[in-house]
Amino acid sequence: MLASGFFGGFGHCMGMCGPVVAAYALHPARTSLLPQLLYNLGRITTYSIIGGIMGLTGSFAGVIAPVENFQNIVMAGIGIVMVVMGCAVGGWLPLKLEIGAGCGTVAGRMVAFVTASGSAGAFFPMGLILGFIPCGLSYTAFIAAAGAGVHAASRAEGFLQGMSLLFLFGAGTLPALLLLGSLLRVLGQQTRLKLYRASAIAMIAAGALFFYRAVSP
Amino acid sequence: MLLSLGLHPCAGHAADSTPPAQTCDINRGPCSQKAGTAHITLDIAPKPVTAMKELTFTVTVAGIKEYEELRLKLNMPGMYMGTNEVRLVRSGNGRYTGKGVIPRCHSNKRLWSATVELPGQPSETVFLFNVLY
Repeated sequence: MLASGFFGGFGHCMGMCGPVVAAYALHPARTSLLPQLLYNLGRITTYSIIGGIMGLTGSFAGVIAPVENFQNIVMAGIGIVMVVMGCAVGGWLPLKLEIGAGCGTVAGRMVAFVTASGSAGAFFPMGLILGFIPCGLSYTAFIAAAGAGVHAASRAEGFLQGMSLLFLFGAGTLPALLLLGSLLRVLGQQTRLKLYRASAIAMIAAGALFFYRAVSP
Repeated sequence: MLLSLGLHPCAGHAADSTPPAQTCDINRGPCSQKAGTAHITLDIAPKPVTAMKELTFTVTVAGIKEYEELRLKLNMPGMYMGTNEVRLVRSGNGRYTGKGVIPRCHSNKRLWSATVELPGQPSETVFLFNVLY
């Protein structure tokens, strides 16, 4: 499962989560690796809990239906945030105005969360939430966790096995996302405006795509 | 850089690794292929084949010895989707059945592959089919 996460991290997550990584890695004030580590720890925690539930019940299809509804809500929210973030990073939206105007909404709060420079601790809960982004690769890992639950001797063993499998899967994806985040951060410091504009466009496009996929049947 | 920020979650690069063309539509009935001396048939139920639902995979192998069990690998052509294997247990007369799930890809690409690997046989047999999301 570690290998599945590792190869999937490079072959899948970099594409799927690249814009999300860019959203937190490209902030000029972020020079430390800690926010990235906390974000990923949050994401892996969510995977592990869902994996535990899959293992406990021994059923993927039975558990995923309610989870999927929540995932779509998260994805739509992230899509909105990414569009706003993209506009802010690209300089097409004054950051103060955007945060101030959006604070009354969930999306506005999420934007404020992401753009707040001093609070590395905020990245763990952000990872917890974004761990719900619907993803075919993580679904495959959940299916394996449910399969482990079917063959487990007890429900407790199924829970532990499912949780362990998803922890390993999440840990496997870590190198790719840390590498991408670090690369973006270094490149961002060197090329500043050009990269910000390019990533801003990608973020807006990806955000719109996320939103579309979340709301489309 | 834009590609690494990627807008291609499961879009894949089909041109690099497109499996052999296949005319059979699994949603209409079982599909068969020859692999050396073996004749392999795949069926998936219920139809239409739908993602995120439990599916029953049935593989029938004729022309070679029987195995205790077989493995069926599910993947998307050109895109790594993790290890999704279905354990197929022998149910007699060359038939092997098992349950599995095909996850939904949020790119809305619907082409999936099921690969049957027969121990001791030189090549894998790949079945392509479209999945309903």
